[in-house]
Amino acid sequence: MMDVKRIVSKIERDYIISNLKKGERIDGRGLWEYREFQIESDTIASAEGSADVSLGDTRIITGLKYEVGEPFPDLPDEGVCTVMAELLPIASPLFERGPPDEQSIELARVVDRGIRHADCVQTKKLCIKEKEAVYILFVDMYVINYAGNLIDAGGVSALTTLISSHIPEGIWNEEKHETEWTGKYLTGKTIVNELPFVLTYGKIEDIILLDPSLPEELVCDGKISISVTEDKITSIQKSGAATFTIDEIKTLGNKSLELGKKLRKGLNLLQYLSEIK
Amino acid sequence: MPLIIKDEYPEMLFRKDGKRLDGRDVNELRPIKMEVGVIKNADGSAYLEWGNNKIFAAVYGPREVHPHHLAKPDKGILRVFYRMATFSVFDRKRPAPGRREKEISMIVSDCIEPLLFLELYPGTSFEVFIEVMDADGGTRCASTTVAALALADAGIPMKSLVSAIAVGKIDGKKVIDLSGIEDKAGEADLPIAITWYNEEISLLQFDGDMDLEEMNEFLDLAKDALKEIHQIQLDALKRKYIKLQEETNKPKEKNDKKGEE
Repeated sequence: MMDVKRIVSKIERDYIISNLKKGERIDGRGLWEYREFQIESDTIASAEGSADVSLGDTRIITGLKYEVGEPFPDLPDEGVCTVMAELLPIASPLFERGPPDEQSIELARVVDRGIRHADCVQTKKLCIKEKEAVYILFVDMYVINYAGNLIDAGGVSALTTLISSHIPEGIWNEEKHETEWTGKYLTGKTIVNELPFVLTYGKIEDIILLDPSLPEELVCDGKISISVTEDKITSIQKSGAATFTIDEIKTLGNKSLELGKKLRKGLNLLQYLSEIK
Repeated sequence: MPLIIKDEYPEMLFRKDGKRLDGRDVNELRPIKMEVGVIKNADGSAYLEWGNNKIFAAVYGPREVHPHHLAKPDKGILRVFYRMATFSVFDRKRPAPGRREKEISMIVSDCIEPLLFLELYPGTSFEVFIEVMDADGGTRCASTTVAALALADAGIPMKSLVSAIAVGKIDGKKVIDLSGIEDKAGEADLPIAITWYNEEISLLQFDGDMDLEEMNEFLDLAKDALKEIHQIQLDALKRKYIKLQEETNKPKEKNDKKGEE
């Protein structure tokens, strides 16, 4: 069993901080380095797309289900994509079972906003018939093991799930006034356009580090998550009791675009596109 | 991958060559894979793939009971929580636990409790969380099997393991290990579990119709299959200790490597 607790001892805290001041982290990483990502796609047979993503010891399984429903009145020709997250009680003694708490809602919301504002999901392609029928996609994330930085792992997990998706293609039957299935599939190729990545930094005193692990997360005064596409920042979330200087935010914006490019190239998520026709 | 047309049951559950739809014989199990220690944060954990079923189980305990009034002064309590992921079934399951999940939690809990020495742990609780990520028939049996394995992985004293399987009748023939479609379209379904320390039955449910002779045959069929499953459980546990042994036998190299990294 890993040593998981709500509070870090003074000794451990001082050890983490004194190392950080020398530019070292307790797991040997540099300040701007991710733990290793491990990605498997389409592992769940019952889901229309899925991903099993590990970031170090943090592990999240995400699956996609769909429903056909009526569009929102103000967006009559657009489908809907919602993100939900659940911090399973298997994942950590810190998680309790029961309705979603603040932390799981924040995880879902930050990942959702990263996707929503980046032109990632092509909601117009998810329309079967204007005002009548659109796809409603549910991207549901389940945390299997918690070892810090759920948001970045969740972002990659949700993205891989959408890329690996294969949803039965429906067309509108005007006479019967209902959706019919063509036997073909809509895949990630049609549904996904931009690939937004979310990068989370922790702040301890005046030191900023990428991808905080669990002990680092417990020591951090606060965190900031920045979602980026190829050349734009699409969403920012500051959380926790830290304050950031304006210069720090400017640096982080720059850093995020640079690190995002590296991540995009390194993970090459488009390799997980579904091959179903 | 899901079917495009919903709830369409095949007319026949056997192919022309006499095999079942997934190519199995009447007394053949689906492929089963088990692994322990998959969740590092948990006191004990196990992962099971049984056909298309994919299930995680994790154990936390003995630990303080929360809420406190559930604690018993003379013995520990066992609590099992069985949950299914929203995407584990054909139609998205609602995220909140339903009646079915609560019933199965109770069934599994009652099945496992005889194995534990709860009287040795007064005032504490053991919590077993079972998360079904992908479901394809027989999840209550698979969950029982994997929960027992997670408890063993946690090093909690147990009288023995317990193994479970569903036997049933499809197209008039008796088969073991019903798949999702066989479960829905078949005539009878009998989940059954055996605790190995006394070789007695600890879980038993039945829906369908059978005569006395059939019941006897079902029980014999189940026992043979359960022996196979028990062996897979034991092998998974043994693999963990073999791996541990191998790791402790070569500590030198590893330390050097760590320094370099």
